[in-house]
Amino acid sequence: MHDDGLDAFDAFGQDPLNEEEFAEQEGELDDGAGEFEDGLLEEELRQAAAILDPVPAELLQFAMDAYALYDLDARLAELTFDSLVDAIPIRGVTDAPRMLTFTAGELSIDVEVTSEGLMGQVMPPQPAGIEVLGGPQVLHPTTLTADAMGRFTSAAPPTGPFALRLRAGGEVVVTEWLRA
Amino acid sequence: MRAGTLPSTAYDDMPYTRGGTVDRAEVGALVQSAVDGDAAAWKALVEGLSPLVWSVVRSHRLSDADGHEVYQTVWLRFSQHLRRIREPEKAGSWLASTARNECLKVIKSLRRLMPTDDPQLLDRVSEERTPEQSLIDAEEAASDAERIRRLWQEFEELGDRCRQLLRVLMASPPPSYQEVSAGLGIAVGSIGPMRQRCLRRLRARLDALGAL
Repeated sequence: MHDDGLDAFDAFGQDPLNEEEFAEQEGELDDGAGEFEDGLLEEELRQAAAILDPVPAELLQFAMDAYALYDLDARLAELTFDSLVDAIPIRGVTDAPRMLTFTAGELSIDVEVTSEGLMGQVMPPQPAGIEVLGGPQVLHPTTLTADAMGRFTSAAPPTGPFALRLRAGGEVVVTEWLRA
Repeated sequence: MRAGTLPSTAYDDMPYTRGGTVDRAEVGALVQSAVDGDAAAWKALVEGLSPLVWSVVRSHRLSDADGHEVYQTVWLRFSQHLRRIREPEKAGSWLASTARNECLKVIKSLRRLMPTDDPQLLDRVSEERTPEQSLIDAEEAASDAERIRRLWQEFEELGDRCRQLLRVLMASPPPSYQEVSAGLGIAVGSIGPMRQRCLRRLRARLDALGAL
C-alpha cells in the first residue's frame, strides 16, 4: 500500500488470497444459508451507511447543478498529460508545479499550476479569451487573455475543480474538469 | 433498495447483474435522455448513482475536503462527457472508475507533498461528521441506534481491504460487480469470494461482541 505510484493500487486484489488479510482458512466457504446471512449483513451495512455516512446534501445539490454546465457548443480538450501521473518525480523536490496538457485535435493547451497561480500556453500560438470555470456555484468566472504568442497567466491558483473555456479562432474549446 | 428477494448463491453465476438491476437497466436510457436535454433524467442519474460515487470516494479514506472535491470533479466531468460515453448503460462503472482515478491522484499528490511517507495521511478520517453526531440526528430507536453504531464500529476496524470493499458494496442501490471492479480496481471474479470472507469476518467480530 505504501509503494510509490498508482501501480501499487492497480495491483489491488490481483492475488487477494495470498494477502495476510485473507491468509487464514475460514472453514466452509459455500453454503446457501451462509450466503443468505451474508446478504442480510450487507443489507444492514447498507442501512448503516445511509444513516452514518450518506452523500452530503450539498454535494447532491452540486451534482444536480453540474448539468447546467453541460456545454453543447464547446469542443472538449482532453487531458493528455498530467505530471502527477505521467512524470517521474524528482527526489527531494516536493513542490514541483502540476503540469497539464489538454488536447483537442490540433489545438493544445499547456497549463502549469503552482501555489502562486496559473500559467499557460496555447498551441499553435494565438490570441484567445479564456474563462477559468470553477463549478456551478461560481457565477462570475475569472477571465484571462492569451497574448499573440498564446501565453496567459493568472495570479490566483484555482481552488477546487476547474476547467478552462477558450475562445480562439472562432471556436470554443473547454478543457476536461480537473482538481488542481 | 433492493426489491424482493435477498441475494443468493446465484451471485457467483451472475456477477454482472447483481443488485439494483431495475435501476441499472434504465441507466443507458437516462443518459440518452439527459443528452437530449431532459433535466429530470439527469436528476435521476444523480440520485441513483451518487451513493456509488460517494462510496468509492469514502472507501479511499480521503480528508473531507479532498473527498468533496473528488466527488464534484467526477460529476462535472460526467456532465462534460455525457455525449461521448461509449457505453451509456455502463455509466455507473464510468463514474466509479473516474472517482477511483481521482482518489488515487489525491493520494499521490499528498505523498508527493509530504517528504515523509506518512501512512497516517492515508488513514485520515472524516473530521466533520462523526458517527456519534450523525446518530443523534438519526431518528432511530435507541437500541437500533446502538446496534448500528456497533456494526459500524466493527466495520471500521476491519482490515483496509475488507473495509474498502464493503464500503463500496454497501452503496444504495447495490452496485454491480462491474461497478465495484471499476471503483476499486479489483478483478470482477475475485469480488464474490472477497465479499464472502469480509462479511463473515465482520459477522465473527459481531458474534464475539454478542451484538447481533
